[in-house]
Formats: sequence, C-alpha cells, structure tokens
Amino acid sequence: MKEADDVTNLVTDLSPGRVASEARTSAERAAHEPGGGGTAVTLENVSITFGNHVAVRSVTLQLPARQVTALVGPSGCGKTSVLRAINRLHDHMGGVVHGSVRLGDLDIYGPGVQPELLRSRIGMVFQRPNPFPTMNIFDNVVSGLRFNGVHNRRLLREMAEMALHNAALWDIVKDRLHQSALRLSGGQQQRLCIARALAVEPEVLLMDEPCSALDPVATAKIEDLITNLSRDVTIALVTHNMFQAARVSDHAAVFLLGEDRVGELVEVGPTEQVFETPQDPRTRAYVTGHVG
Amino acid sequence: MSAFSSAETALAGAGAGAGAGPDARLAQAARDRRELMRESARRSLGRRRMTGRVMQVICLIALPVGLAPVVALVYTTIANGAGAVNIGFLVHAPTPPGIPGGGISTAIVGSAEIIGIAMAMAIPIGLFIALFLFERRGRIAASIRFSADVMSGVPSIIIGIFAYSVLVETFHHFSNLAAGFAIGVLMLPIMVRADEEAMRTVALELWEAGVSLGARRSRVARSIVLRGALPGVVAGNLLAIARGVGETAPLLFTLASPTFAMTLLIFNDATQPFPAAQQTAWGTALVLLVFVLTLSVAARAVAWALNRKAR
Amino acid sequence: MTDPVDPSALLTTDPSRRPGEGSGRGGPPDGPAPSWRKDRILPSSPFYAIVRWGGAGLFAALLIGLVISIVSGSSQAFSHSGMGFLWSGTWNPAGGDYAAGTLLVGTVLTTFVAMVIVVPVGLGVSVSLTELAPKWLAGPLGTVIEFLAAVPSIVVGLWALLVLSPVFAAHVEPFLEGLPLLGHLFHGPAYGPSILLASVVLAIMTLPTVVTLSRSALGGVPLADREAAMALGATHWEVIRRTVLPGARAGIAAAITLAVGRALGESIAVAMVIGNRPAVPHSLLAPGATLGSAIVNQFAESTPGLGTSSVIALAGVLLLLTILVNVVDQVLVRGRGARRAVRVGGVPA
Repeated sequence: MKEADDVTNLVTDLSPGRVASEARTSAERAAHEPGGGGTAVTLENVSITFGNHVAVRSVTLQLPARQVTALVGPSGCGKTSVLRAINRLHDHMGGVVHGSVRLGDLDIYGPGVQPELLRSRIGMVFQRPNPFPTMNIFDNVVSGLRFNGVHNRRLLREMAEMALHNAALWDIVKDRLHQSALRLSGGQQQRLCIARALAVEPEVLLMDEPCSALDPVATAKIEDLITNLSRDVTIALVTHNMFQAARVSDHAAVFLLGEDRVGELVEVGPTEQVFETPQDPRTRAYVTGHVG
Repeated sequence: MSAFSSAETALAGAGAGAGAGPDARLAQAARDRRELMRESARRSLGRRRMTGRVMQVICLIALPVGLAPVVALVYTTIANGAGAVNIGFLVHAPTPPGIPGGGISTAIVGSAEIIGIAMAMAIPIGLFIALFLFERRGRIAASIRFSADVMSGVPSIIIGIFAYSVLVETFHHFSNLAAGFAIGVLMLPIMVRADEEAMRTVALELWEAGVSLGARRSRVARSIVLRGALPGVVAGNLLAIARGVGETAPLLFTLASPTFAMTLLIFNDATQPFPAAQQTAWGTALVLLVFVLTLSVAARAVAWALNRKAR
Repeated sequence: MTDPVDPSALLTTDPSRRPGEGSGRGGPPDGPAPSWRKDRILPSSPFYAIVRWGGAGLFAALLIGLVISIVSGSSQAFSHSGMGFLWSGTWNPAGGDYAAGTLLVGTVLTTFVAMVIVVPVGLGVSVSLTELAPKWLAGPLGTVIEFLAAVPSIVVGLWALLVLSPVFAAHVEPFLEGLPLLGHLFHGPAYGPSILLASVVLAIMTLPTVVTLSRSALGGVPLADREAAMALGATHWEVIRRTVLPGARAGIAAAITLAVGRALGESIAVAMVIGNRPAVPHSLLAPGATLGSAIVNQFAESTPGLGTSSVIALAGVLLLLTILVNVVDQVLVRGRGARRAVRVGGVPA
C-alpha cells in the first residue's frame, strides 16, 4: 500500500529533523499555506493542579491558526492535561486550571462562557477510539449535530457525508451507515470519531495520541488525514512519537519533566527547527536521546 | 423543528460567495457551515439546558418517593412495637387471646430452633457444593450453577409446599424439622453462590500474589484459599440467614401453630381484630426487624473489612 | 422479603464480575500452572470425593424432588379439569370450582401495575444516586434503600395492612377516583385492601432490586463514552440520556426482569392486603387475588384430595411462570452482556 511505503521510506533515516524536512517537501505539504493568519488558541502561564498535586506548570503556548502544533514529550509531562484544559474537560474531573486560556479573544474560563458552546467550537479525539456503542455509524457521526440543535434530516445527511469524506471514511461506510459502529476496525473507528468531531465544524481539533492504539497502516492513514484537515482546522496533536510529530506538524512544543517531577514546556517553535536545531539543551538531549 | 431550517438548507446548498474559483467557494461554504453551527448551538442551548434541569428535578423527586416507605416502615414499627416490647414480652409464653400478660418466648425459641436446623443443613452442604463448583469446569458444574440460580428465584411458598410433601405428608405431622428443612433449602442456593464467589475472589488475588512470589502451589495453596475465603463465606452466610429468619410462607405449610415462630405469629396476629393481638404483632415485628438488621449490618461489616484487607 | 441484596455482589470488589458471569471458568486464571488445575482444595482421597460429589448430587436431588412433588401433588387437579384448569372458570373452593384463570389475571395485573410504579421510581433513584447526587450523599442513601431489601416481607405486609391500608382508603383512593382521565381505572368503593394496594406493596418490595442493579449498570458505562459526548458539547443531561442510559440498557432490562420474578413470587404481603376476592377486578380499587395469595389463604382450609391438589397445582403454575421469567433474565444478562464485552476500540485495522 502506498501509505505503508511512504512510512517505511521516511523511517530509514533515523533523525526526526531529517524526517521533518523531508515531510515538508512531499506533495501534500506543498499544497499547504503556512501562516494561515493569526493565532487560534493562546495559553498564558497555565498551570494545572489536581488537589495538591501539580500536573504541569507555567505553560505559555500559542496554537497558530490552521496549522498543526504537536505537543511532544514522554508520558506524564502534562501534555494531555494541557490539551484538556483547552476544551474545559477538567471541569468534570476535578482539575483546576490556573492562568489564562484564550480562544481568539475569548477567555474560555471567563464568567458567562458556556462550556457546551465552547466544546462545539473545539473538538476532541481521544486516545482509544470511543464511538458510542449503542449507536450505528450514521447516528455516531451526527451525534454532535443533534446535541447542538440540528435536527433537519437532509442537513444531517449532508453534513454527515461531508464529515465522512473529510475523514476518508465515506467510501468504506456509505453502504452500511446503519450498522453498529463497533463492527469497524480500530483504525476505522478512530476515523469515525474524527468524522464525528468534524461534523460539528469546530475551529480547533484537539487530538490526544489518536494513533497510539492503532497499527502502523491505520496510523499512516490518520497522519495523512491530519495534514489534510489542517487546511481548515487548527490542530493540536499530543504524541509521544517524535517521528509522527516530525512528519505531520508545523510547530512543536516539547514537554519534559522538571526536577520536581512537574511537567513543563521546555521549548516551542517550528518543527524543523525544534528537531534539527533545538535551542534548549534539554530539548537536544530529548531529541538525540530518542534516537540513540 | 429547527427555527431556521429554511435558512439552514439555503446556506448548506448554496455556499455562494464573492470568491472567484472553486476553492474560494468551498472555503466560503465552510465558513457558512461553521457560522450555521455556531448559530444553531447558541440558539438551542437555552432549551437544552432547561430540559436537562426539568429531567433532573424529576429524577431527584424520585429519591424521597423511594426513601419514604423504608423510613416510614422502620419508624412505625419502632413507634408501635416499642410499647409492647419489654423483658416480659421476650420471656413469657403466649396466653390465650384476650388474656393479658403474654409474651412471645415460644416463638423466639421456635424461630431459633428452626434457623438452627436450617443452618446445620445448609452451611456445610453449601460449602461442599461451592468447593465442587470452584474446582471443576464442565457441564456438570455449569448445570449445577444454573440450577442454583434458578432455585434462588423460586418463590418461598413453593419451597414450603415441597417441604410439606416430603416431610409433613410422609410423617403425618407438622414439625420444626420440616420448617428447618424448608428454610434450609431456601438458603442453600444463596450460600452456594456466595461461597463460590468468595473463593474465586480470594483465589484470584492469592494466585496473583503467590505466583509473583514464586509460592509453591499445592496443599499450602489449598488451605490458604479456604482460610482466605472465610470472611466472604461468613458474610454471605449471614445474609442468607437474615433472609431465612424473615421467611413466613414456608412455615405456613410446616408448622402446627403460629406460636412456634415469630414470622408466623405476626401473620396470624395481624389479621385478628383484637388490638392486643395487633400490639403483639408490632412487638414481634420490632424484635424480628432488629434481629434481621443486626445480621445484615454484621454481614456488611465483615464484607467491608474483607475489602479493606484486600486493598 | 424475597432475596435481599445478592450476597456475592457484596463480596466482589470488581463491579464487572457480577455473579453468574464468572460461570464456566474453573478456578484461577490459566497462568503458567497447569498443576494448579490438578491440585484440589481437598486431597483427592475417596472420602473427600464422596463429600464433594455427594454435595452436588444432593443438590440435584433437591431440585428434582421439588419438581416431582409439585407435579405429583397437582396431578389430581389436572386429571380432574385438564388444561382448562389454567384458564377457565373461577376459583371458588366452597362451590367446588377450581380454576386458575382469574388468579392468573390477578397475578399479572398486580405485577404489571407494580412495574409501572417501580420502574420509573427505581430508575429515577438510580440516576439520582449515580449522576446527580454528591458522592458523600449517594452512599448512605443507597444503603438506606438496600436495607429495605433486608426487611422481612411479613413486616412490610404488617405495615401495609395496619398503616398503609387505612391511609389508602381514606385519602389516596378517593383522590385517584377523582383524577380526570385515569379516574376510570379507580372507580368503585374503596375499603383499603385492593389490587392497587397490593401493587404498591410489590413495588416497595422490588424497589431495592431495581435500584441496586440499575446503579451497577449505570456505573458500568465507561468514562470514555461520557467524555466523547461532553467533548461534542452535550449538556449534563444529554450525556446521561444519550450515553449513560443507553449504555446501561442491558443491565436495566435484567434488573426489571429480576424484579418481575420477585413480584410474581411474593405471596405473604400480597395476601394480607389484596382482599382475596378471586374474580376479575373491574377497577384497581377492587379487591382481587393472585396465585400466591390464593395459595396462602386456601391451603390450610383446603379439602384434602382435589382441594389440596388444586392448591398445589396453583403452585405449579406459579413455578412455571417463575422459571420462565428466570430464563428470560439469564438470556438478557448473558446474551446482551456478552455482546457488549466484545467492544472493539483499539484493534488493529
């Protein structure tokens, strides 16, 4: 399969920096306009605590609009916590978010902000595919639309078809929209979840290690998807796989554990630069240590 | 449906914009769809939240409705029964109807005897069957397990009839033995289930602990599992006994007189028009309730201690 | 009270290991140790083999004995009336009529009305306890409801007869009669003992079953499903309605089925409050009779021979009903439960 060949070719060179430069020159990347205009999400001095435990400290980060920003680093450094702070998922889990998180001009933790509306503008894809087990494929894709007040059947069908096209799933499921979502394979389920998130037309898509539960072929398909999607949607991608970050992202933010075992943001910048010519010695250690 | 459905479809279909090429039109269509979604979400939120609040209130109303019967029942039993219960009540034998000064001692003793017989039957047999089920796979074990499940759903009145056929008809008289047999048969499936589950839970944890420590499986393992399952067995059996004590229907078919067991006494006295009889019924009910609740609390305490130890 | 909180459910710390689902697995998991399977808890000597097999054999004998005693005890009644015993005629021992028809109607009716009451209330309580109430409150409240399961049925019957029945006669039944549309269900003189009162008693007694099992089902819905709904912008109630409740469907269905089984078999409390008039009731406020209540009330006075045999035949019908419901429950619990466990997330494409 073509995607598998691409993956193999990229992996023959062991440095993420080389991977990043080569990824840039491939056909899909050429079609992408960098600097699409402004910043979608701004985090300023964000710390996240769970009771007395500090998960991550003092994160200042910008997610440029319509580009892919990868949050990389070993597990436990707070990448997922930062992601969930952006769509206020911590509200239900007891986590407290300090500092400021802005969607454009809007302070998302400000008074008068409705979390439900916010979450219809910021979608999320989770680590393990989680389609609703009691719904068929069609109902899964349009579930977000129904939550947000869209009930017109024709409109639902059109938006579902569009979302499934964008998730590269339409041809596979178009004849079995009324089958249970659980009959799809793992990779297909994840793309279903992506379609479900896309159907709501979010401005930002948060992806929390979407490929970690999938095999390489499914992973490659989703990586392709991410690159295509970033034309319309700002994407924040948490991944512990530096090669994936190198292949797919425009910007990279490196999270590592500080001395006191609290996660912190060590370096952020264009992906190529972070991986090939990192500024911070810790980043260099991480990037090279990963290879060696 | 949606208040602006015509606008929705117009926007979705047209997507016309000022841009020239197909790309610009697609981008405009995307922006329009996004704006449509924002608008729809914004407009529907108020209604959605209101619906949610109403449904939550309805659910919460169910709470006092569900709790009221227990509370009222316990309160009434205590209020009405406390007046009747005193040392004399517990210690004296019943007197003929209408004559004051009686107690329920025969009923208490009778109930104790019946439960004792039932326990003597059901506890050991339950343990052996549970061991059998624990050790074996296969059809026989599965069918026995299935039968135990079915039996635990059989109404107690039918078990009473069974005891009647086997013991009362055969020997031509009612007896505590027949009653004990009926209650024992009733308790048996519950005990079997609880015992087996206790063994499995313990075995799983011990197995994992033992394997990681390199323990030698064999006789040591056997006695450890048995000893480890003991709290679970005790808790489960206590609950089964609590249930057995409270049964009335089987006693109808196996006992000669209501004064031989507490539950039967309540049943008999409750339907009599004498206020004294009703007083006795409340008093007996209070005694029974206290006893059953104590057993249940004890069972829970044992199970809780067991769960604590397991962590 | 029939079957309190399942004791084995108290003992398992893992909520997914409900009793009955471990069936078929023999002993600890297959580790590196086939030798465990060869080991027995007790040594394999013949004495212990007899003990073990004896226990199992005894149990089988009990079950078979039960069925045989019911069948033989009721044979006289069935040979007298044939299968018509089940539906034709009325139950009138004084007049020599023995037929289960009206009693079946009463049984089904009381159980049905009881479910109409207990299912919404039970679900409402379960949802409140698992989703809406703060954790520190949900625990104690849940325990209170479970204590209801431990209360003996005779005590509930006593309370219903002496406390609830007068209240019903004086306040509740007149009120219901006056209701605009539903009032037609509730006409006629109200003396207290009635189908309605019996149904309410059954509802009270089956509530703990419904609540405990539903709570377990609701709690078993994975967090991932809820988060998926939240991430799409669902409100709290929408998460409950679209994710949690559908996900708990199988468990809730099993809970209801189990409750039906309990309600069918409850005879003592029902006998005390139903009024014991074996006739098809014209209103829910009328007295009635069920299979269980008839057995309770008639057995002692039944004429030996056909009379007693007919009472035992009633028990046989009840047993059949109970087994039917039990089988349905096993299918619901095992069938649907097994399918849910095959949920895929994460399997390679």
